[in-house]
Amino acid sequence: MANNKTKFRITEEKRRVLIVEDEIINQEMLKETLFGTYDVLVASTGKEALDIIREQNETISIILLDLNLPDMDGIDILKQIKDSPVYAHLPVIVMTADNEAEVECLTIGALDFIPKPYPPSKVILARILRTVELSEDRDTLHWTERDHLTGLYNKEFFFHYATQLDLYHKNAQTDAVVIDVNRFHTINDRYGKARGDEVLKTIASLALETVMEAGGIICRSEGDTFMLYCPHRTDYEALQNKLTFTIEDEEAGESHIRIRMGIYSNVDKSIDIEFRFDRAKMAADTVKGNLTNPIAFYDESMHDAEVLAEQLIDDFQTAIKEKQFVVYYQPKYNVRGEEPVLSSAEALVRWKHPKLGMVTPALFIPLFEKNGLIQELDRFVWSQAAAQVKEWKERLHVSIPVSVNISRVDMYDPDLVDKLMAIVRRNGLQYNELLLEITESAYTENAELIVNKVKQLRQLGFLIEMDDFGSGYSSLSMLSSMPIDALKLDIQFIRDAFRERKDTRLLEIMIKLAEAFDVPTIAEGVETAEQVFNLRLMGCDIIQGYYFSRPLPAEEFEKFIAHKNTLPLPHQSKKGRQLPHGDSYSYSALHDPLTGLYNHSAFDSLFKDADQEHIAVLIAQVDNYDKMKREKGGDYADRVICRVADVLKANFRSVDHICRLSENEFVVIAGRVTDAGKKMLLSRVDAINKTLHTQEADIEPVILTTGIAFSDRARPDGDVFREADTALKRMKDMKEFGYSIY
Amino acid sequence: MLTVEALEEYGADVRAGLSRCMNNENLYLRLVGMAVEEPAIASLGEALQAGDLDKAFEESHKLKGAMGNLALTPVYEPMNTLCELLRHKEPGDYEALYAESVAQIEKLKTLLS
Repeated sequence: MANNKTKFRITEEKRRVLIVEDEIINQEMLKETLFGTYDVLVASTGKEALDIIREQNETISIILLDLNLPDMDGIDILKQIKDSPVYAHLPVIVMTADNEAEVECLTIGALDFIPKPYPPSKVILARILRTVELSEDRDTLHWTERDHLTGLYNKEFFFHYATQLDLYHKNAQTDAVVIDVNRFHTINDRYGKARGDEVLKTIASLALETVMEAGGIICRSEGDTFMLYCPHRTDYEALQNKLTFTIEDEEAGESHIRIRMGIYSNVDKSIDIEFRFDRAKMAADTVKGNLTNPIAFYDESMHDAEVLAEQLIDDFQTAIKEKQFVVYYQPKYNVRGEEPVLSSAEALVRWKHPKLGMVTPALFIPLFEKNGLIQELDRFVWSQAAAQVKEWKERLHVSIPVSVNISRVDMYDPDLVDKLMAIVRRNGLQYNELLLEITESAYTENAELIVNKVKQLRQLGFLIEMDDFGSGYSSLSMLSSMPIDALKLDIQFIRDAFRERKDTRLLEIMIKLAEAFDVPTIAEGVETAEQVFNLRLMGCDIIQGYYFSRPLPAEEFEKFIAHKNTLPLPHQSKKGRQLPHGDSYSYSALHDPLTGLYNHSAFDSLFKDADQEHIAVLIAQVDNYDKMKREKGGDYADRVICRVADVLKANFRSVDHICRLSENEFVVIAGRVTDAGKKMLLSRVDAINKTLHTQEADIEPVILTTGIAFSDRARPDGDVFREADTALKRMKDMKEFGYSIY
Repeated sequence: MLTVEALEEYGADVRAGLSRCMNNENLYLRLVGMAVEEPAIASLGEALQAGDLDKAFEESHKLKGAMGNLALTPVYEPMNTLCELLRHKEPGDYEALYAESVAQIEKLKTLLS
């Protein structure tokens, strides 16, 4: 390597030598010696030398430094060079007759020395050449083994050195640590790449400090991922805190840099070094986006998952051969009209594993996506689904389009269009009977390629549904240029919107926006009457989810087809939910016009719909309501009721249903109440009473009397509502204020 | 006219001196010519007279280096001894060593003319 490089360098340009020497005779001798082989620069004083180094350090190959200079000590110059991050790599040969100085210089960082009187010219030349090449190899190695941005090792060398470390410390307990930056791409987006790079450099140097103190080695493996291989310890919080900091920018504002950390503690050194870090990475991925607890340790359960993953991969081919994969169908209902109408189904794969039983797709899909097996599985599902559509058409004389998932890797398959065409033709289908779901993130990844492919498919007549919309980072404006036929809102997006602090604003905007582009919206993962209700009000077109049905085997799904024209109302669906008939979805039928809370009708269905084992029911009455109404008038009473409604809304979660049962009686059905939740609930009631006890504008303090009952596993047959009512009555009888628990 | 032979006769290790100059005789002889005109010779004498031993060391060190590289042994030897004494400010006959060095330089000068 050195030879090749030497040849290369010599034909290109002479290496440049800086001679720092004040004695003119010595200068002349060295010039004569180096002339022809090197390009020579001469400095007679320390100051001159530093000036030249500052200006020309990039082209200087080596420095010959005399220690006795008129203006400063040569050792000080050497120190200045070696202390500077910019010049430190420059090789220095010290020229001295003083043995003690030699040792000191070598310690500071000189690579070699030339004694005085000088050795013969050819000896000097040989020493210079050797030193230059050594230093260049060192630099080459440095940049081959280092990540250029942070100066840390790169992954390949890191693994190499980690293995070396193991050889020297066979019995030492060692940890493999993976550090990722949370949402790093947003830093780049917000502050620009240069700032993003700064963040990575900061993390690198902070983490390096820890490694310097505690031992071990560190690398930047890729992007925003760092890896540490270090002596075992238990406390990683200090490191995590150290790597958490804030950046700010006048325009882009302030941002907290937060990392997540996965640790494979006390590694098993018999397994491959890369697998050790896979385990740490696996742990890190479990706390992705988890800001409160960003440190995770690889544990038994992850190990089990790993073993299971291996087994699933091993069993894949047999499973395909033996048709262990079964396609299930989940209905999608068009909810635009008065009654929901079955519009299509989504094909979802299940694995009936001979030993493991039903394996959830959540387990094997991501796995197969990672190793590419998904393509084969997808093709299997497409064929099955198309055959099913054909079978229904022939036997039941009805066309139920089925949507299938097109995985990201499929989009890069040059034969994708041909394969899909062949499947459709083989089954004698129309192209619009096999709907294609393409995930949003595929669009953002390689937009041009995906858009072109999708255009081809649409030209044939396929309909494209953009899947998981809202999970990726495509900008809403992309919608106008993207060739799609439906927008499928991400399941998590729906869940988040209806979570504790219900916030459906963004959801509504998306639906409206899709509407503006004439693209129908599909909401998936819809579970409750409340969600159906709100989505419909927002203008969502098609709904899929457990509310209507879980995914079913083809035979069971047929019951929906049988009723296609007189389709089951929601109350006939699996859980026996009941919503009022007729104008079931109209807002006014379920809401109290004064407060906007659910009314008595809604309460009935919501109460039946609730998970009876984990709810709490609160019944609250406004004290002295009749007297108040009599004395202060109906308007005032209405204002009091509105105030109570507002305070209730502000204090309960969106999963809790607040209803106005009668003029002055409210009921709250609180779902998913755990033991901890019970305490929370009581503190909410206290907070509500406290708020109502204060005067608000012209409304005098209001007193609520409340009866509370909790459903209980131990008494599954208990009537929570009746119990709450009993509790309330007891309070009333005793003429007490506040709340009572049954 | 200075010649290599004359220098050898004078006592210089001409081979060693030439080896440091890529065996370039012309350069070597030119450098010897420069060495005898070194301003440091005079300033060393002045420093010694003024008792400025630090300055004297610097100058002697410089001269020693040059004379050593040129392998002008008759000058190098007294200059080296003087330099080492001055380095540690050890007592010694600085003047005599200096006089010896100067005498040797003067001798060289006669070879030059």
